[in-house]
Amino acid sequence: MKSLPIDVEKNWGELPKIFDRGIETLPQLLVYQAGRFGDRVFHRKKDFGIWQRFTFKDVLDNVRQLAMGLSALGVTRGETVGLVGENEPELFWSEYASQAIGCKCVCLYPDFTPPQMEYLLNHSEAVVLICEDQEQVDKVLEIEDRLPRVHRVIYWDDKGMWKYDHPKLMTFGQVQELGRAHDRENPGWFEAEVASGKGDDMAVISYTSGTTGLPKGCIMTHTGLFDTAFRVAGTLPIRPFTQYLSYISPAWAAEQMGGLTQGLLVPFVVNFPEEPETVTRDLREIGTEAVVFTPRQWESLASLVESKMMDAGPIRRWFYRWGMSVGRMTNLARLEGRPIPPLYRLLHPLAEHLVLYPLRDNLGLQDAYYAQSGGSGMAPDVFRFFHTMGVKLRNVYGTTEMGMFTSHMGETYDLETVGMWDPVHPRFGPPLEYKLTEEGELLVRGGAGFAGYYNNPEATEKRMAGGWYHTGDALHMTDKGEMVYLDRLEDMRKLSTGHSYPPQFIENRLRFSPFIKEVMTLGDESKPFVAAMINIDIGTVGPWAEQRSIGYTTFTDLSQNARVRELIREEVAKVNYFLPAGSKVTRFFNLPKELDPDEDELTRSRKIRRSFLEQKYADFIGAVYQGREEFSAVVPVKYQDGRTGTLNATVHIVDLGPEEG
Amino acid sequence: MLQDGYLMRAEKLNLRFGGVVALSNVDVVVGPSEILAVIGPNGAGKSCVLNCMNGFYRPQEGRVCFGEVDITHMRSHKIARLGVGRTFQGVQLFPGLSVIDNLLTGRHIYMKTNAVQGFIYRHWTHREEMAERRKVEEIIDFLEIKHIRHALVGSLSYGLRKRIDLGRALAMEPKLLLMDEPMAGMNLEEKEDMARFIIDIREALDIPVVIVEHDMQVVMDIADRIYVLNWGHVIAEGPPSEIKQNPDVIQAYLGEERAL
Repeated sequence: MKSLPIDVEKNWGELPKIFDRGIETLPQLLVYQAGRFGDRVFHRKKDFGIWQRFTFKDVLDNVRQLAMGLSALGVTRGETVGLVGENEPELFWSEYASQAIGCKCVCLYPDFTPPQMEYLLNHSEAVVLICEDQEQVDKVLEIEDRLPRVHRVIYWDDKGMWKYDHPKLMTFGQVQELGRAHDRENPGWFEAEVASGKGDDMAVISYTSGTTGLPKGCIMTHTGLFDTAFRVAGTLPIRPFTQYLSYISPAWAAEQMGGLTQGLLVPFVVNFPEEPETVTRDLREIGTEAVVFTPRQWESLASLVESKMMDAGPIRRWFYRWGMSVGRMTNLARLEGRPIPPLYRLLHPLAEHLVLYPLRDNLGLQDAYYAQSGGSGMAPDVFRFFHTMGVKLRNVYGTTEMGMFTSHMGETYDLETVGMWDPVHPRFGPPLEYKLTEEGELLVRGGAGFAGYYNNPEATEKRMAGGWYHTGDALHMTDKGEMVYLDRLEDMRKLSTGHSYPPQFIENRLRFSPFIKEVMTLGDESKPFVAAMINIDIGTVGPWAEQRSIGYTTFTDLSQNARVRELIREEVAKVNYFLPAGSKVTRFFNLPKELDPDEDELTRSRKIRRSFLEQKYADFIGAVYQGREEFSAVVPVKYQDGRTGTLNATVHIVDLGPEEG
Repeated sequence: MLQDGYLMRAEKLNLRFGGVVALSNVDVVVGPSEILAVIGPNGAGKSCVLNCMNGFYRPQEGRVCFGEVDITHMRSHKIARLGVGRTFQGVQLFPGLSVIDNLLTGRHIYMKTNAVQGFIYRHWTHREEMAERRKVEEIIDFLEIKHIRHALVGSLSYGLRKRIDLGRALAMEPKLLLMDEPMAGMNLEEKEDMARFIIDIREALDIPVVIVEHDMQVVMDIADRIYVLNWGHVIAEGPPSEIKQNPDVIQAYLGEERAL
């Protein structure tokens, strides 16, 4: 492996010394950090319009009371505690508290439907569920009779809960009250319980988002969490008490490694947004220094800027374009290793003052030095966009099972890649090793290793065949030692002509258009060319249409409007420009309805579910390849309250000539 | 009829506009903890009852008591100070002010410092502003409008503006809330939200609510008791289950034979 462009030992700094004290688990680390930083702020949450602070001592007190309360309720070592809610301090405390008494946690996405909750809670054998509010309690009570193991449902936000009377229901406060009494009766018990935790205890069961089949529960041990937190900490110097915004759900492994583990280790000041809808304002208020978003979230932030600038007056637009062009010649040039022309060297401070800093400031990213995008691939244009304005956005690649693998490191890295291999601290395991199979699949071993799928040894064995972890991802390595993520192995597509094309690459590029929200490419071994089905973004296409006095009634009507089709056709042509012949999108149609996770069309992390969509829209896809100009069909739809209906739609199919793009 | 006392009582209301009889001998009693609905076809006199209750209209005969106080001839701003809050059919907010400022206007009856003190802005004004802002923040939390607290009201959707209107009425900390057509012009989702807020107002804030509403479905779902008006007369009174079966109501609303 190539040597890394960074000083790993320096980046780790004092952190490894913490572990010389025999700390093995997150709760042990919490007790230690509370002793070191007692009155410094650890968690912050906006309540009634004011940022409320919780010091390390406050957090430990809360965790202690809750842990003792859970124990008083009969929860014992080795059992599972379910957690569901938006990112709030109580959610983090609940996780630390469960782990303090030797339990493992399973976090559910707050927008899970009751059947999805039922599967995860039963599969993980949860005995207690700690949830946020009425919304979650209602869902749990709906499936309560099918959750034989769950004997308590605890909630922390009592709004709307005044009339609930159920023997299993308790408030967070009541459990803590129980805990205080239990603590008085059993002095020293909490300390002993925390101390008896071991590094290879299960800390979390994290369910993979399941683009294919039922979700599988990956076991994450304390050692595994520390290992992966160290891998990331080795790649860039992280300052203690960095302002971190906890936004992605802990149901996703990335936040377990980030906010929960790194947050405690470094430590961060972990800030929780007031509501998911207020994130952009919260980002700005706290002056975020560290933030991890999914590619979709970065993309939507970028389209937000683009669409707002579209509405701006001509003078502002001119300044914006000028500032960004200076940014491209300076910030982006530095990243890409190009020389900076002297003129731009002079212009840069001016552009920074007039355009780039105010732009970052408006997004709340003015001081963000640790900005990451995790999850599936993201269009390089989005990266370039943020680097141009001065946000050093870095890609990371890893799996829930094995932790982080690669990161963008140093000052100069290739945006088309996912970076170089992360260093592993020898305390937690051997360095990461990898090899590529003939089909291009990436196999990995090293670090703390994969602890297995919960109650699913067959799947574990399949994934770990030959002692290597099979990622199922197709990657290749550049001469510079950076990994390029191509696609999921099963998603690289061959056309009937024998030509292979990268569906994700096309989709990511198209999604960067402010007018396109989701897109799925079509074309496989039975089909001779690439086509696409596109979900327009009504949030930008709507105003675009209004400005041009194009009348429309519904999403369906707007999506099939002739001028909107022309608009999208131009966007597709732009992407075709980057594609080799044979991979170009030849035909497309706009979907008559929005793709919706409630209808299983998207996963909860908003990835498209390809095979499901291929079946659901089979008639439309057939029409595309029969060469038809338009096609009518009935599409089933599901409303939020569970009712179903149908949508009659005529869809126009648009052709792109071979000269376009 | 109500057994255990009342919060507001309107007796024998007679209201005429010239020759038009808007209300004749209308009796309405509001209990200390209930959601009461007043329904009826167009022009039945529903809004007139509300307007008599908060002093916008003066009935020619009859009287209105709020607790022990006779408010029949009281000015409407004094009735508001007594604790009768009200929302309107059309939205009556300041479109150029933010949501917070609009809600703060509902707090003015509690503010003690004057314009001069506000200009000097010493600690007493500061303290008052903090306290009032806190109350407003509680309402923002209650109505789930945190994401728009700094937005200008004029830029919000109709459904949200109705919610701000309700918020301003709640900011007065009323003892009784009168709502005129809270669901008019809303889509299904907004209606469901509003219905939930009305129930929460009674259950969490313990404020009885009188609603005048067109949407029968919502009324039947959330009201404890219903008065039905037709041509200025009360033609029925009782819980939703009885009202649904009442032949007079069915006829007034739907003509002959069809059940609700």
